Amino acid sequence: MREAREVFFVDGIRTPFGKAGPKGQYWRTRADDLAVKAVRELLRRNPEIPVERIGDVAFAATAQVGDQGLTLGRDVALLAGLPETVPGFAVDRMCAGALTAVTAAAGELALGAVDVALAGGVEHMGHHPMGDEVDFNPRYLSERLIDESAAVMGQTAENLHDRFPAITKERADAFAVRSQQRAAAAWQDGVMRETVVPLTVFTDDGWKLAERDEFLRPDTTMEGLAALKPAFRAGGRVTAGNSAGLTDGATAAFLAAEGTVEELGLQPKLRLVAFAYAGVPPHLMGLGPVPATQQVLAQAGLTLDDVDLFELNEPFAVQVLTWCDELGVAADDPRLNPYGGAIACGHPLAATGVRLISQLAYGLRERGGRYGLTALCVGMGMGGAVLWENVG
Amino acid sequence: MAETVFTLNAAGRIALVTIDNGEDYRKPTTLGRSAFASAVEVLDALEHGDWEAAVFTGKPFVFCVGADIDEFGKVEDPREGIQAGHELFSRIRALPFPTVAAVNGAALGGGLELALHCGARTLASNVRHLGFPEVALSIIPGWGGTQLLPKLAGPEAAAKVIVLNPLRQNRLLQAVDAFELGIVDRLFDPVEFLDESLQFARDLASNSVSPAREEPDWSDVETVLRKARSRVDDAVHGATRAPYVALDLIAGAQHWTLEEGYAAEEDAMAELLVSDQAQASAYAFTVVERRSKKPPALPDAKPRRIQKVGIVGAGLMATQIATLFVKRLEVPVVLRDLEQSRVDEALQTIRKEASEKKPFLATLADGGTGWEQFPGCDLVLEAVFEELDVKREVFAAVREVAPDAILATNTSSLSVEAMGADVGLHFFNPVALMPLVEIVRHRGTSAEALATAWDVVKRLRKRGVIVGDAPGFVVNRVLTRVSRVLMEAIENGNTTEETDEAMLGLGMPMAPSVLLTMVGPRVALHVLETMHAAYPDRFPLSPALEAIANGEEPVATGDNRRSVEEIRRAVLEAAADEIGHMLDEGVVGSPADIDACLILGAGYPFFLGGLTKHLEQAGLAEYGKIPA
Repeated sequence: MREAREVFFVDGIRTPFGKAGPKGQYWRTRADDLAVKAVRELLRRNPEIPVERIGDVAFAATAQVGDQGLTLGRDVALLAGLPETVPGFAVDRMCAGALTAVTAAAGELALGAVDVALAGGVEHMGHHPMGDEVDFNPRYLSERLIDESAAVMGQTAENLHDRFPAITKERADAFAVRSQQRAAAAWQDGVMRETVVPLTVFTDDGWKLAERDEFLRPDTTMEGLAALKPAFRAGGRVTAGNSAGLTDGATAAFLAAEGTVEELGLQPKLRLVAFAYAGVPPHLMGLGPVPATQQVLAQAGLTLDDVDLFELNEPFAVQVLTWCDELGVAADDPRLNPYGGAIACGHPLAATGVRLISQLAYGLRERGGRYGLTALCVGMGMGGAVLWENVG
Repeated sequence: MAETVFTLNAAGRIALVTIDNGEDYRKPTTLGRSAFASAVEVLDALEHGDWEAAVFTGKPFVFCVGADIDEFGKVEDPREGIQAGHELFSRIRALPFPTVAAVNGAALGGGLELALHCGARTLASNVRHLGFPEVALSIIPGWGGTQLLPKLAGPEAAAKVIVLNPLRQNRLLQAVDAFELGIVDRLFDPVEFLDESLQFARDLASNSVSPAREEPDWSDVETVLRKARSRVDDAVHGATRAPYVALDLIAGAQHWTLEEGYAAEEDAMAELLVSDQAQASAYAFTVVERRSKKPPALPDAKPRRIQKVGIVGAGLMATQIATLFVKRLEVPVVLRDLEQSRVDEALQTIRKEASEKKPFLATLADGGTGWEQFPGCDLVLEAVFEELDVKREVFAAVREVAPDAILATNTSSLSVEAMGADVGLHFFNPVALMPLVEIVRHRGTSAEALATAWDVVKRLRKRGVIVGDAPGFVVNRVLTRVSRVLMEAIENGNTTEETDEAMLGLGMPMAPSVLLTMVGPRVALHVLETMHAAYPDRFPLSPALEAIANGEEPVATGDNRRSVEEIRRAVLEAAADEIGHMLDEGVVGSPADIDACLILGAGYPFFLGGLTKHLEQAGLAEYGKIPA
């Protein structure tokens, strides 16, 4: 049997995240230009990687049209000034796009197809509202293949509240307040300086420097959140305050294979231990990370207690709480999202995966932990999880 | 158009100033009164804020293209506008922290002057439009440009950018040129241009870098300016003052303080801005840049898609036109001439030139002595011998083999209708260089044929002017009438030197005797004969021209020898008279169309306003308000 090579996460970076829509900082910035900025900063920070050694560029977007439509990996590679000899491709697994770009590239690295890979994601939800270009097959409804609420992510979050009555709106709001507080603290220390690159952007009011996430609300309180109206259902529990807003942003990461790391003298941060994707009922898509987490732990022969840090996406507070309850992790566990999450920084769908990995690498190094987990739920009923080992 | 606004945003302690008119790159940002008002507000904020540096930049693809030419005609006190610019820009220069102009796109005139008032400049490496077009408009860059550019880059660079380039079809600098001339301090790739410019400003603020420029070289200033003056003489022959004044100001910059330089610029602009030449130039600019791009006579019809072109003839003009079609339209072009050797020679030339652009283009040209290749042509253009009967036969034959094709003629003076063509496409020699194509329509020209002709000319990257089917159309008619006056002088004992001087003194780019040699005296004679047949009174046959066409020396037969000034006056009177007839006949819709033709097809200078503006200024004609 042929032997697989170890795969390492070398470095990751993201743009500040912006509010989708005409008032957001990226309204007049192209999606692929955001991705190019992340890639160029990554190249600048990793001069020991010769650009011609990049074997493939995997770039994710959920809406693969318009400024995200031109086979992103190749589009971004050319626009970023990589040599014409560097190929690229586009990836879509909705919210797990960047995560899937990373694991797809990892497959190429493990099998020896490439030695170095670039992986990342971008989503300009202002230019590409969710589901805008999607034509749902009528069979879904006529044959009742899925519950119709499965198409609207906020409704799937309400479904989780229904399914797990113990997760109340108060618990969701408390989680959201903590996310905002942790994110506010994180912007004061080094993690954001290390993982976020500012950029100038053209706006209706001239050029501006985009240097912060636009969703940050450090002064969020329980009282404030209690006053918000439910966004998806009359009498519902999911509000703008306990879910991630519609976001524009891009991420990019360098991955390298064992051997190449030594050859180029790279200082990787993480070793990829295992990854898994799992399917769940589409109208309960938020459950996806539960089986995905269980599968990676089983693959690695580890238990949850062996894991020192969890970077989970937070599209909805209730979604993270179901994972906590199912796996037995306290919602305020310091190992869980120590720098806050998407509720505070935003969730540009296919870009988020690399943000989680970059922050996990920083967190494990800062805390001296060994194993870390990144996981996301995915629309249409999926979950993805990657288990990492700190080598930084 | 939206007003230009200066906006100020903070990037940390760096002030980021954007100059933007809220439109896309097709409407470049200009500096008018309202822009100044908003700039003053920004300057107040800069002077009173806690900044460590300021970066000035433009909207995407445009930095700033300078003063708004539409405010030209409304100037009441030229000094006021110049002073306002000096006042504003010197405040930028006086800011107590590093200032960087991040030139991200086109920077012309006042835009470039703004950049020169900053402490340092970065330039995006893809910028292709940087320069001072003022002298081409018979004014000067008066907001400090004539002073700061020589002080920064030396007199040679300044003379080139401010004076000589504008006189060479308004040539502009590309990014690399500007960098090599020392006008900018850093060239950055466009992809992260502003991010890198911001970093440059931060580094200047922290003293970790300096612009580190070479001192300008003034050692050879006299020679540099003498050479420049002589090249200006060759171009305008003293007919407009602006280039000479600009050279004097550049010379002054060596010893003047900036304030003294500002004062000299003010004096110069007070004189120049109200001059006939500047007023005519502003008019000419409008005619060439606006009216002739969207003519009122253009029909609303959908142009036909041209996928194959036939060219009848394989002579000099046919070869040049075919080359242009192959290179610009990138469709098959077939030639037909009576002799295979001529066809082969033409094809060799066409293929060689076309393949220099893209190798496959050479395969698009073909031809022969028959009509076998003409079926399927969407457009057939003839450029054969200027003989009506020959052309009639050609078009009759073409109608047989390509009944659906739009038939066009390159005739320079014959009746398009009489020869059976749908439309005229009159190119000028040399085709590659001359921008004009006279698009000739007659009573039978369909809307589709006219719209197609316009579209084809546009895609050939030429400038079309729609004219009526009258002998000589516009350019040849005016030129022949003018030339007839010059011949009359020679017939009365004047020398060629005197007739040349009469025309050069008006500021014409080329002596008429040289032009005659270029066109070919036989061709000129042929056109005169055509004009004579139509208008015998105004276009009498010329024994002098006939002699020259026969390779002989012209002989004086009269003794009414005139002074150079009298010849010049007679030329202008004749032109005014002929233009009056053309307007009465409705050859064109407006005097502006005649001016567009003369500027684009005969190289008549902007400062004569084509010609009609000058005729009005000289009191020889009254056209009323010319729609431009």
